[in-house]
Amino acid sequence: MSRQMTWLALLLILLLAGPGLAAEKPADETESRWRLGAALGYGIRSNPLVQSDDIPIIVDFDIAWFGERWFFDNGDLGVTFADNDTLTGSLVARVNSDRVFFGNTDTRFVEFDLSGAPLASAVPFEPPDRDYAVELGIELLTDGDWGALQLSAFHDVSGKHEGFEIHANYSYGWRAQRLYVEPSIGASYKSKDLNNYYWGVTPEEAGVVAFPYEAGAGINWQARFMLGYQISRPWSLSLVAEYERLNDEAAASPIVKDQNVLGFFAGVAYRFR
Amino acid sequence: MRRLLTLVLLLPALALCEEEAVENMTLTVKPLLCITDNRNPSCDMAFLVAWQSALTGYYCLFSDLDDVPVRCWNEERMGQLSDERTVRENFSYWMTDRDPGSRLAEVTVEVLRMDSDDRRRKRRTRHVWDIN
Repeated sequence: MSRQMTWLALLLILLLAGPGLAAEKPADETESRWRLGAALGYGIRSNPLVQSDDIPIIVDFDIAWFGERWFFDNGDLGVTFADNDTLTGSLVARVNSDRVFFGNTDTRFVEFDLSGAPLASAVPFEPPDRDYAVELGIELLTDGDWGALQLSAFHDVSGKHEGFEIHANYSYGWRAQRLYVEPSIGASYKSKDLNNYYWGVTPEEAGVVAFPYEAGAGINWQARFMLGYQISRPWSLSLVAEYERLNDEAAASPIVKDQNVLGFFAGVAYRFR
Repeated sequence: MRRLLTLVLLLPALALCEEEAVENMTLTVKPLLCITDNRNPSCDMAFLVAWQSALTGYYCLFSDLDDVPVRCWNEERMGQLSDERTVRENFSYWMTDRDPGSRLAEVTVEVLRMDSDDRRRKRRTRHVWDIN
């Protein structure tokens, strides 16, 4: 039922936004609709899954297009339904970010069962695979001298986890000419269905070497620190450090080895303007 | 007649010297980049402007921000000054000789606006990585 309502909401927004599509124009005539860039450097995002590898970051592409109502932002597709001095509201379709950890897992042969008793023969075990989920939701952006706030609520519309996520992020940036510093903090509430799809373990998946596990709802916390230095109009240096603490329900899963996800990236970025 | 012939033969060489002098005018400005955002929509900066010419002469420094020369030098072949400005958009400094229309050297100061009026350009996407 909730999926039907979500699709209905999407259809309604598309119909409302349709006439505006033909009249797309950039908000600022001097500003290109496109934002294209690439960063080359080195970084790592740790993987909280057992038997998994950290995620290396060598190149980061930035591909975005912003029309008056429609926008595409690095995989997110949105249509803006409200934009005024206080608030910008959009309907956004995106791919869930939890799935990314499940792409870097390894198979390991386990020789002991759950009680520690030796098995007759080694049993292969790998963290279970999970699918990408397409989510649809509302995103609200507001900013001022006090900083910037981003609020969003997304629901699965692809029938994968059938759950939802509510996210809030606050950031505040300081600039001293070429130098820019921006710390931010955020929190994400993940519903039981979402959490259990990604972090739960069914009896079939558990086999004889892991416990079946059912995850409940929980809140992930994030903190991020970005430091940028503008070398010239297109070139800049970037240093980013990020920390995410998985919710307790996810962290208690037998396929999770670490509740903390750490990441950093240092590199040089080029932006086409 | 011989003197006239000599002068005619030397004219291209003299003209060449003048061209080289023009080409040899160098103008440097620091800094060349000014960065603004929503909180600081303009830059208050002191630009260090320096010039050097192959020939001693009368030279003037102009900018897009003034109708009159910023400063002129007489019988000099180099000079510098600190020029304090409040800047909101790109502008140029250039050097002339006695002819105000002759731009012997020109340097443009770029103003780079980092914030957009479009809030969506500042939204955080939650991908593997996001450094923007």
